[in-house]
Amino acid sequence: MIGFPIPALFTSALLIIFVLLIVKGLAAARDVSSTSNDLLDDAAEIPPCPPEFVFRVFSSGDARFVSGTQSHQLVKLFRSERKEVALLWVRQVSAGIQRTIRDHTRMARSSEGLDFITEVKLLFLYGELMLFCGALFVAIQSAGPAWLGRVAVYLDAQSQRLARTQQAVRAATTPREFPRVGAA
Amino acid sequence: MLGQLIWWSSIALEAVLLVRGLQTRLAFRYPFFFSYVAFVFFFQDLLSLLIRNSPIYAYAFWSTEFVGILLGCGVVFEIYRIGLGRFPGTATMARNALGLIFVLAATKGLVAAATNSGWWVQTNTLELARSIRTVQAFAIVGFALVLLMYSIPFGKNLRGILFGYGLYVGVIAVTLTFVPDVGHGFWFYALSASYLIALVIWLVHLWSYQENPVASPTSVSGGSGYALDAAATRSRLESARRELVRTVRP
Repeated sequence: MIGFPIPALFTSALLIIFVLLIVKGLAAARDVSSTSNDLLDDAAEIPPCPPEFVFRVFSSGDARFVSGTQSHQLVKLFRSERKEVALLWVRQVSAGIQRTIRDHTRMARSSEGLDFITEVKLLFLYGELMLFCGALFVAIQSAGPAWLGRVAVYLDAQSQRLARTQQAVRAATTPREFPRVGAA
Repeated sequence: MLGQLIWWSSIALEAVLLVRGLQTRLAFRYPFFFSYVAFVFFFQDLLSLLIRNSPIYAYAFWSTEFVGILLGCGVVFEIYRIGLGRFPGTATMARNALGLIFVLAATKGLVAAATNSGWWVQTNTLELARSIRTVQAFAIVGFALVLLMYSIPFGKNLRGILFGYGLYVGVIAVTLTFVPDVGHGFWFYALSASYLIALVIWLVHLWSYQENPVASPTSVSGGSGYALDAAATRSRLESARRELVRTVRP
């Protein structure tokens, strides 16, 4: 049996997960045109959702309101509709990003003055965005947009708490400056 | 028995491929590729048939193996030269990506030599072949990714050469890396069969000449045009990132 060191296995597993998420992000855009749903058939043509509308899809305010009705069917319908809208939004964003990069590569492939470093930076940015889209897609599909919103709120609160603690520690450990003797 | 069948089938397919190459004059359009096939046919297959039981066979085998690898590099160069002739931007990217792969491989070799002074003496021909094939496989994968990324339209002929050769080199690299002691088991036949499959792919794709598709003229010759477009693309991608982050973050 071939023995692999644990860090190498962990790194490989992480790399595979990243690649799968990027592939999911890439596939999300393809779903826009391949889905049979009437609404989604022309998703590429649908104008982009206004930011406040998208923000609301991910917020848990409406979910709380619907839960208050105590109707199981309504809650179920609400969740499934919200999930569809959130997924459609991710698909739209992913398709937009892919269109941007496709337009760029079509221009760049014939360009005499192509800069390798610039291209690599754009490629990494593109990969990062596809990874983000893939992760979002998987998270929405498995847990729903409201859950994602709650996780984001929690993470934001934790990061703010961490920042405040760091600031307090820094303030406590930084040596105080005393006025110099004779200073005006 | 199976080994013999693969062996004779490969020789027959190589002969058909060479004859078709001359008939369709593809051999003059893709000289590196057909030189490679001719070399394998005359020096690796026919010569080894003649001197298989001779004591010089092992020397002849490894010598022809390394010349074959060099000619294989010529095949990749040919795909690069013909396929990217009209795409200077992608050619620059491919050149840099291949350069990067070779620099990484050379660095790894130098580090190995520095940490183990007897490395060169201890390394046998099989290990050397494995290292070269692995670098070659990485180079082909990197090259193919650049082609995919820039949506380079490839004709049937070039596509077949790249796909067949990439498959063959990939199987060799994987086999030599993970199953160094091939013996005469499954992997031996898999390795031989991969060359046979590559030959079938070449024969299907190179049966007749097919013009490379002409790309839509979206060329920007000047460097400033490219810089402006790259800046605009970057700005659009960063705005997409802001949108994604802003939405999920409260």
